[in-house]
Amino acid sequence: MEVEQEKPSLENVQARQQEKQREGEVVIVEEEEEQQQQVEEGEENANVLQFMDSMDAYLTLIHSLSSTIRQGWLELASARHSMGASRVNTVLLDHKFHPAATTLLVTQDEGKVDSMKQHFTLCKWASSGNEKCSLGEAKSGQDKLHPQLRHRASSQLYEEKTSSEYKASHEVDDQVQKERSKSLSVFGTLVSPKLRAAQLSFETALETLVEIANTRSAVLCAFDKVNKKLGGSKG
Amino acid sequence: MASRAQIPTSNSALIAMIADEDTVVGFLLAGVGNVDLRRKTNYLIVDSKTTVKQIEDAFKEFTAREDIAVVLISQYVANMIRFLVDSYNKPVPAILEIPSKDHPYDPAHDSVLSRVKYLFSAESVASGRR
Repeated sequence: MEVEQEKPSLENVQARQQEKQREGEVVIVEEEEEQQQQVEEGEENANVLQFMDSMDAYLTLIHSLSSTIRQGWLELASARHSMGASRVNTVLLDHKFHPAATTLLVTQDEGKVDSMKQHFTLCKWASSGNEKCSLGEAKSGQDKLHPQLRHRASSQLYEEKTSSEYKASHEVDDQVQKERSKSLSVFGTLVSPKLRAAQLSFETALETLVEIANTRSAVLCAFDKVNKKLGGSKG
Repeated sequence: MASRAQIPTSNSALIAMIADEDTVVGFLLAGVGNVDLRRKTNYLIVDSKTTVKQIEDAFKEFTAREDIAVVLISQYVANMIRFLVDSYNKPVPAILEIPSKDHPYDPAHDSVLSRVKYLFSAESVASGRR
């Protein structure tokens, strides 16, 4: 009799233990789902922030471009006024074969193979093969040199390096000035200083345009990510 | 939106221009001008005599060329071929709308901003979160 009474209570205990185990598993799964949701929300917020930041940068750059180009137009008008309308004219443009002195380097964004983000780098006055890319690229090159310079194996080696760097940069500057003069020579040998100023303004505008191109790429990339999430939540 | 094709990388890609005389002259001074062996240029100067067909043809040509990475187009010129500009969705060449002397930049007409502006509509955000 007593043995028969013990059996049902053992079964009850086992049943209760199994129920508690199941409840525990459900709690763990719920916690994991909550964590996953928090991670996804964090990613979504990061995407939205990135989108807003890139939009703000895009609009700021456009505004900057407008003022730079306006300055260029004013300087060009001033040059036309001093040199004469016939001397600053598209009729004088060279239609013989000549490559562009200022070009772009297009690369795909590093890290992701299937990324749609492309990166533009301006290479100014590079027609003679002496590429002078934008500051960002030049700086990364200098950073690679600096660790070597810091070792200072010998002071003589350091001096040789700095003097050769100075010569190289001097040569590059000379080359750039040559290319600039070549570009101006289309409008005559002696040109107004305002035309030179206009040339510099439009060079600055080009640099801003390349930044705009990169920012545009960032805006569209961020927009795609935000759009995907919105599309997923609607569906 | 944009196609998933591989983005072509280029060591020396050109900047094409479809703009008014002063803007083109200015950028040519900055060394952007290119004339190939067939005497084809990477720019089109738009004036009162330029037809919409010429602008369309130049836009299609520049966006089809593999050696062009960026196409600069005055916004008022882009407005003449707005359907073509807005329907363009390749990553390269990038189409950048720039202001002109007589027509300042208007963000409402920018193709990039018009693509993303619906995200800022309260109605669309609210409907997405239901």
